[in-house]
Parts: sequence; C-alpha cells; structure tokens
Amino acid sequence: MIIAIAANENHLKAMVDPHFGRCSWYCLYDTDTKISSFIENPVGHHKEKAGCEAAELLINKDINMAIAGRFGSKVVDVFRKNNIQMIVPEVQSTVYEIINQIK
Amino acid sequence: MNICSLSLYQIYDLTRTKKDRFIQKAPHYYGFKPQGVQTKTGKEVCILFEEYEALNLCDFELLTQAEAAELMNVSRPTFTRIYESVRRKIAKAFVEGSPIHFEGGNVKIINWYICSQCKITFTLPESSVKFCPFCKATSITENS
Repeated sequence: MIIAIAANENHLKAMVDPHFGRCSWYCLYDTDTKISSFIENPVGHHKEKAGCEAAELLINKDINMAIAGRFGSKVVDVFRKNNIQMIVPEVQSTVYEIINQIK
Repeated sequence: MNICSLSLYQIYDLTRTKKDRFIQKAPHYYGFKPQGVQTKTGKEVCILFEEYEALNLCDFELLTQAEAAELMNVSRPTFTRIYESVRRKIAKAFVEGSPIHFEGGNVKIINWYICSQCKITFTLPESSVKFCPFCKATSITENS
C-alpha cells in the first residue's frame, strides 16, 4: 500500500502541509517495503485546479491513501471517485510521526 | 418538574440542544460582497452552513422539501423553518446591500469519520469494514 503525505519540505522531519494541492513536496511511503521517497509538486503554484492536477499525478503513482491538513472540495470528488482514502490529522505532526503511526 | 430529568445543558444553557444537520459539502468560498457599496462592519448577514445546504438541495438540486429533509437528517417542518430563514436572510442582504458570510451552524459533513484515539478525521474507501486506518480500532464515530 502506498501512502502520499503532503509535506512542506523534502525530509522526514518536515511538517504535514495544511493544504493538499498547494504543498511543495509529497512523501510517498510504501508500507510493504518501508521505503519513503519525496517527489516535488509541479503544480503547486497554478492559479486554478492545482489540487485536481496533483491528485491525478498521485493517482498515476497508484496511491491508496492521502494525508494532508485540508482537502479542497474538487479533490475530495476526485479521490472519492478513485476510491482513495483521505486522512486529516487534527494535531500538527511531522511526516515521521505519521509514518510511525501507520505501521 | 423532576430535577433528575434535567440534563446538564438544560441546567446551564436553559436551551434545547439542536440536532446536528448533515451536509453533503461545505461551500468552497466564504460569502458575497455587494458591488459599488462601501462595506461597513456590523451589517453582515451570516448564513449558517445548514441554511446554505437547504437552499442548495431545494433550489439548485430541485429536490422536494421532504427528500431534502431526509438527506439532512431533520424533520420536514424543521427543514421548512431552515429554508424559510435562509430566504429571509438573503432577501434582507439584497435589499439592504449587506455582505453575506457563511459560518456556524450545527452541522456534520457526511462520509467523514473520526478516531478520537489517533486524533484524525478520515474517509473510508468503498465496500470495506469500518475501522481506523492507524490503530485499526473499529470504535470510530461518524462525522466531524
């Protein structure tokens, strides 16, 4: 299972970004191999539909779960259609803490 | 009146708590401003999220009030009261030229779940057992 976490920097101690579409990096964590990798968000500065394009980019990477501080309404529609689980942490946490919680 | 029958909210608030209304989706913007008028603070009209949803279901998606009431998990007369209130608020804002804000209300967004132990809010993928993705506990509560 691959999990995408919206992060504001490209290391494990970065905070989870408050907005899914506008974050600068995504952490992709594979629960089977326990490998985490970071990819840059190429559409974060777009004026419109940044979230939708980012969501499609991540869907092409076969993610099963997405974590961010907030999801826009269009992103929620896209993820629901593709049967991807969305998670919003209530407290501010780092990417490392989230990965530790998952396993 | 039997004092034992009074629950805490009646003792301190002296009002009946409102049942939570279910909404499908919150609006993705905060409100409206009138054109060509200097907006003064204190004259805003606040539309509650449940009222926005009532207007959406009734006048945009063209459901009957009974169908809409069922979707929002309230009785038909209550729905009519919410709908009546939003129409009056919109009329007031239009006539007086006041800005409109969306805020407040006793609402729950459907299909989102909470795990109080992990402090997360999440959706569930289709056709699966209901459990928390982090602690795998099945003791999750619906809505946020």
